[in-house]
Amino acid sequence: MNKIFIFLLAGFSVLACNFLFPQKASPTLNPEISSSENEQILELAELTIVRLHRQAGDLQAMLADESKKAAALGQMPVVEFDATWCPPCLAIDSAIEARNELMLSAYGGTYIIKLDVDEWGWNNGQVENFRFDAIPVYFKLDADGNQTSEVIDGGAWGEDIPENIAPVMDEFFHSGNQ
Amino acid sequence: MKIRYLFIPVFLCMLAACGRSSAATQGASLSLASFTENYVGVSILLEGNDKGEYFLSATFIPPDGYHLYSKDIPLNGVEGLGRPTLLELTEYSQLHALGILTESVKTMEPNFEPKELLVYPSGAVTLSLPVELPAADTWLNDAVKITFMACSESTCKPPVTGKIVSIRIPGVDVYK
Repeated sequence: MNKIFIFLLAGFSVLACNFLFPQKASPTLNPEISSSENEQILELAELTIVRLHRQAGDLQAMLADESKKAAALGQMPVVEFDATWCPPCLAIDSAIEARNELMLSAYGGTYIIKLDVDEWGWNNGQVENFRFDAIPVYFKLDADGNQTSEVIDGGAWGEDIPENIAPVMDEFFHSGNQ
Repeated sequence: MKIRYLFIPVFLCMLAACGRSSAATQGASLSLASFTENYVGVSILLEGNDKGEYFLSATFIPPDGYHLYSKDIPLNGVEGLGRPTLLELTEYSQLHALGILTESVKTMEPNFEPKELLVYPSGAVTLSLPVELPAADTWLNDAVKITFMACSESTCKPPVTGKIVSIRIPGVDVYK
């Protein structure tokens, strides 16, 4: 009798846990190149990350659109170029996915617009009108989605750990012209 | 007296020139091609030794602070990350590989996951492949395939995958 009661109690507990604490699908920051739809990858109170796909339309028009969305959220639009083969890019994504406090604090208030260089075509150090020679690289945008003169790449910090990345990115995002 | 001394450097220069003219013979090296792409310098050489063996080699020189990835990682990287450093003969090459590709420096584990993504220490790497020269007494057109990708601890240059590089190789009888 006691065994039946324990089994019933255990089953009820599992059901109650699932009901009270439903598991959400874990977002991934990695690109899905074949997609024609832009993706919202992460949305926290202070940080939004989206990925734009080439098939979804004209880049400058999409950047203008995303910048408006960023403004509505009170966040700063920033373009980030990355690639699936780039370990330093993955290190940043992993730290944010893991909700690393240093990284969330540094990236707070930003609206990151990710573009995969393989998808967008990185030829002669250029993707559309963005020029850069290494990734990851970040370009601040203005309210209309145009590049500003503020840009930073992974060369600004040393080993790819949050303790190195966060202070540099915090300063880049939160001091300066914007 | 002084004029006699002038002959010494002239003689040495002539000696050096002789050595250069026979640089492609056994015991020396012959430059086949060199280029820089995505900030990595690549030099391709044919080297011979006293035993009559020939080695096709490629030296990859990344920018300061950058490393290359092991020749032994998959072509599409480990879990998609990184790209191998490779010197390969093309399908229709007239060179015949006599052994495996060797590396001038040992690989090491990266200080991040996945640990299987082996890297060379920062700096230059030379890959070498023992080859048999084609049976011919003239120079022949050929090509090799080059793959690499350079990253630092925090940033990456774009990879170069399967770049075909034209070379001219000597037939084995050119040196007989």
